[in-house]
Amino acid sequence: MIDIVDKIILEKGKTVDAVIPILQAIQAEFNYLPEKAMQRVCETTDISPARIYGISTFYSQFRHKPVGKHIIKVCVGTACHVKGAMLVYDAFRRELNLNEDEDTDKNNLFTVDKVACLGCCTIAPVVQIDDTTFGHVEPSKVSDILEEFLDIEKNPSIKKSNLSKSKNAVEGEIRIGLGSCCVASGSSNVKMELEKSLKTNKTNVEVKQVGCVGICNQVPLLEIHKPDETPHFYTKIKAEEVNEIVRRHFKSKNLFTRLKTNALGFFDDYVLNGIPKSTQSYSSEMLDSPVSEFLDGQINIATEHRGFIKPNDLLEYKRLGGFQALKKCITQLSPEEIIESIKQSGLKGRGGGGFPSGIKWEIVKNAESEIKYVICNGDEGDPGAFMDRMLLESYPFRIIEGLMIAAYAVGATKGLFYIRAEYPLAVSRIKEALKLCQDNKLLGENILNSGFSIELKVFEGAGAFICGEETALIASVEGNRGIPSMRPPYPAEKGLWNQPTLINNTETLSLIPWIIREGAEAFAKIGSENSKGSKVFALAGKINRGGLIEVPIGISIRQIVEKIGGGIPNGKAFKAVQIGGPSGGCIPESMADIPIDFESLAEVGAMMGSGGLVVLDEDDCMVDIAKYFLSFTQDQSCGKCTFCRVGTRQMLEILNKICSGRGKLEDLEILEKLAESTKKGSLCGLGKTAPNPVISTLKYFKQEYLDHINGKCSTGKCTEMVKYFINDECIGCTKCAQECPTDAIGFKPYELHIVDDEKCIKCDICRQICPVNAVVIQ
Amino acid sequence: MIKLKINNISTEVPQGTSVLKAAQNLGVKIPTMCFHEGFTNHPSCMLCLVKDAQTGKLHPSCALPASENMEIITDDDEIHEARKESLELLLSDHVGDCEAPCRPSCPAFMDIPLMNRLISESKFDEALRIVKEEIALPLILGYICPAPCEKACRRTQVDEAVSICSLKKFVAYEDLERQDIYLPQKESKSNKKVAIIGTGPAGLASAFYILKYGHDCVLFDKNEEAGGTLRYDIPEEKLPNSAIDKEIEVLKKYGAEFRLNKLIDKELYQKEIKEEFDAVVIAMGNFDISNLDKFGFENDKFGLVINRDTFEVNKQGVFACGNIIRSRRMAVTSVAQGKAAAYSVHQYLNAQEPEKRHRMFNSKFGKLFEEEIKEYQKETIADQRQWLENGKIDNFTKNQAITEAKRCMHCDCRKPNSCKLRIFADEYRADRKKFLFGERKKIKKYFQHDLIVYEPEKCIKCNLCVEISALEKDTLGFTNIRRGFDVEISMPFNKSINKIFTNTAEKCASACPTGAISMK
Repeated sequence: MIDIVDKIILEKGKTVDAVIPILQAIQAEFNYLPEKAMQRVCETTDISPARIYGISTFYSQFRHKPVGKHIIKVCVGTACHVKGAMLVYDAFRRELNLNEDEDTDKNNLFTVDKVACLGCCTIAPVVQIDDTTFGHVEPSKVSDILEEFLDIEKNPSIKKSNLSKSKNAVEGEIRIGLGSCCVASGSSNVKMELEKSLKTNKTNVEVKQVGCVGICNQVPLLEIHKPDETPHFYTKIKAEEVNEIVRRHFKSKNLFTRLKTNALGFFDDYVLNGIPKSTQSYSSEMLDSPVSEFLDGQINIATEHRGFIKPNDLLEYKRLGGFQALKKCITQLSPEEIIESIKQSGLKGRGGGGFPSGIKWEIVKNAESEIKYVICNGDEGDPGAFMDRMLLESYPFRIIEGLMIAAYAVGATKGLFYIRAEYPLAVSRIKEALKLCQDNKLLGENILNSGFSIELKVFEGAGAFICGEETALIASVEGNRGIPSMRPPYPAEKGLWNQPTLINNTETLSLIPWIIREGAEAFAKIGSENSKGSKVFALAGKINRGGLIEVPIGISIRQIVEKIGGGIPNGKAFKAVQIGGPSGGCIPESMADIPIDFESLAEVGAMMGSGGLVVLDEDDCMVDIAKYFLSFTQDQSCGKCTFCRVGTRQMLEILNKICSGRGKLEDLEILEKLAESTKKGSLCGLGKTAPNPVISTLKYFKQEYLDHINGKCSTGKCTEMVKYFINDECIGCTKCAQECPTDAIGFKPYELHIVDDEKCIKCDICRQICPVNAVVIQ
Repeated sequence: MIKLKINNISTEVPQGTSVLKAAQNLGVKIPTMCFHEGFTNHPSCMLCLVKDAQTGKLHPSCALPASENMEIITDDDEIHEARKESLELLLSDHVGDCEAPCRPSCPAFMDIPLMNRLISESKFDEALRIVKEEIALPLILGYICPAPCEKACRRTQVDEAVSICSLKKFVAYEDLERQDIYLPQKESKSNKKVAIIGTGPAGLASAFYILKYGHDCVLFDKNEEAGGTLRYDIPEEKLPNSAIDKEIEVLKKYGAEFRLNKLIDKELYQKEIKEEFDAVVIAMGNFDISNLDKFGFENDKFGLVINRDTFEVNKQGVFACGNIIRSRRMAVTSVAQGKAAAYSVHQYLNAQEPEKRHRMFNSKFGKLFEEEIKEYQKETIADQRQWLENGKIDNFTKNQAITEAKRCMHCDCRKPNSCKLRIFADEYRADRKKFLFGERKKIKKYFQHDLIVYEPEKCIKCNLCVEISALEKDTLGFTNIRRGFDVEISMPFNKSINKIFTNTAEKCASACPTGAISMK
């Protein structure tokens, strides 16, 4: 063990800022942090025991106990939460017979953990076991999933595949999305099948792996592009159908015709074990197809060449105009001209705050210092948001280019990408892209003979939402606990290592090359009066077509939900949207016509946030939503200031009390007042915005709070207040009785089943499994 | 230099000065807990919030740099409320008692744990001084007090309560055995005279403290001997007259004058008392209250009507205490009231509006969880309670008393007077019970270190100790573990606390704004 640790130290360095990378490397080696290893680090580096222990217990990535052979990560992001993630989590714990204080089963095979968000919101609820992601998981299916996973384990060949490149003339091109959602939905299986099929059919078709296509809930998606033909989209492809599609498309058209006739029936399919149950196909010419509706009304700036560009193909990126903006900047424009242009464009920071980017750049530029830094903030931590992940995964060069332009404009020579650890694909894509740039002299010394030099590297976050806050991010890079500090001084004046530092959000940077290339006016033409350009949203929750969308700022919530998203599934009523994640608020359906821009959202008590947009329907309990966000923020609070550390916890406790049916009217008053003082008195943005979900739901859904106080949760989400009941519709099929994990339903075939309240743990399995919807919540 | 206004007063400070500092320079007080000059830990407690008048936003003044043309308000309703709420939040997460449960359950508020500790160190005379701060008649009460303190004693969760009452009697006895009995230093002589009518427990106690305040004092009684109910109602086998005599003797030595065989009627009252005395304390016990009408005092069915805070009756300068205001009290309550009335008398004689004596804010958390009992046992001995053979008639031997006193579990805080959380909770009248929504944290106590005791549940997470131990490169020093609400200042790698501190323990204890780290 000592040898391994010493080797890691040799590689990562002995200074205090190496502490997080060292711990990450140790954990990668041992699956947890053995105390001996940590002590060895303290003996041989500048890192003190107090520091290493403070760090290892602060970041949620680090584990101090050995874990099972496989780690089950149950995503409890917003989209997963509204689709019952906690029931799934409980089901795994039950399946593995875990006691309250355990997270690993007796055989040390599985460790169960909650994660804030895996960024696969469109196929919620999502569970990741090691590297395999399962979407649309139901509590009743967890044993199947574990079995399935172990099967995959035994037969690893399923997972590894490489697409062979055809050297001959091509008959066409097949594009397959390989973003995290796509992979989670089984696109790697599809890819493997595709490869096999092309080989056996000896078809000369170019297979192109593209980044996130955006239509995340229709994935895996295959696009067939043939010369002189309109492209065809195949959604929700099954691996076993690939062969047929390939053969028909490149030889006959039979399958397409068949599918075309029955394709428009739309139902929410459950995807299990990465293999979707149904396949649908659409021609891009079909105007009313879900695909075209989804894409209609969107614009592509951050997501330029979406569904077309290959993430790590530098040549292609350059062919499509990539790095032209950089070239123009470093060879023709002065930093002042660039900053003027960014100001003219009206670009505001996309990380949530909405601070004018041009002004931020100018402050850093004007700060006098030999050394300046630029940082791309990719620590996207909002549960229910995955814009940055998708941008980093799909358009790494664009963000690199944006960061380089920023560095040139402000006079920085060093920069880094701070990317959260939960996004391994984004990390590897950026690292790969940086290397390609380096190899092609687009990075490093004297780029394009302009005299401009820049050094860029990647810093992986270690699991702390607070590190999205820029001063906390800096603390983390410097090898400290992610504790924010008071601003001023702003990082623009005194940032990383006390030097002027420009920190921009990933999406902000991804817009820069376009603005430079197409001109500030072109950008300023898009959007509303005070908010310019486009915004990427992660559309998820109770929506027919969730996914990643880029829309002009100023579009209304209703347009997004109803047009792009195709409305609410299963004929349910649209109730509200939660926008801006834990810092944002809930906007009721009645206000859905407001335009989405920084000002309008702030006015109604929400905020743009980083762009999570979770749609809620009549089945969602607003008190539960507020409680959900508070449980997130209080868990992510760094613990420095009183209001955030204790205030968010107390708010959560009050909400727990209300959701359990024990709430009193005066509790509401205390809650309201505490929300206000936490907003006023907290030190950083996390605490100042943490009360927003409470304040906005109290503002627009007060009646629901009052109902809870009167002992009623009409949606049945607050399980402590409800009972399960089987009505006369029951056909006595015993399915529920067989699946009930606590035997709360007696096994009596052909008789009306009865739920024993004493035994019932409200896991909801019976309700989900009942073929005649006879199980109801009272 | 930077010009700014604080509470509308213009001032100039050098660049980089905090608003807190600028305010302090002007003599404007802003409360702080986590702030410590020269350290970077702040802001954390958020008690020093002030308002930027231009934006209306609140900022922690300790970390807010003064800037040109800034206008700061340091106190208004909104700021006051926010500070109070921050205190209340901190209190909701502060598991610790300022005063041990026994003390507030004693009607006389005797500092029981301190008495116990002094006895355990054989400092019997010092223990008596502590007793006499609050109780004028410890020997008498040692016989007859029903000891409500013992019902509140935490030791009952282990085995049986500490014999508090008998320990008090023991120190009283020890004192009376000495040549130079303890007579507290009196305040400077006022040349004012106070009449006390009645020589039961309330009257005697009242006399003791009135004398202590520097006034002269005459006690009247209708009987030929002083003592009231103590002498005439309680049987000798419960309370021997010799005990009463001893404590009356103390009072006499202290300067009390007794006028006995004096039945107070209207005439005597009007002539002798009103003429001669500057104030009157009525402590006539179970006197037939209908007779009091004649004096012009207001009565109700319980007795003489008084102001509950000051014990003043409806006549200026006249105070009442003991059974006359509500009968069938415990003697200790009468003794406590006598003391309280004396306090009011003293204020009255100093031409001040009498006010109730202020009791400091007291954080209390109630019963121990089962697993906490062993934490409290770390500071005590395992011995069982010692029962005297003849009950309260008997007395402890020195060794018995020492052993018994050692059974005390030191439930009270080690920094009752310097804890900033307590001081400001008191000043802002914070409600400790406002945020009791979740389950409270479990108490742990660390005693392994030679100099300090660490009680994490009293910590407000200011991080001063972490910074001090890191800056001065102590062996290992404290660290933060976990984050958010679960953050705890703790020992790296779960080392023992005596292994992590060699040179900064004392500094940390003195910097700690609460009783979390304190000297042993």
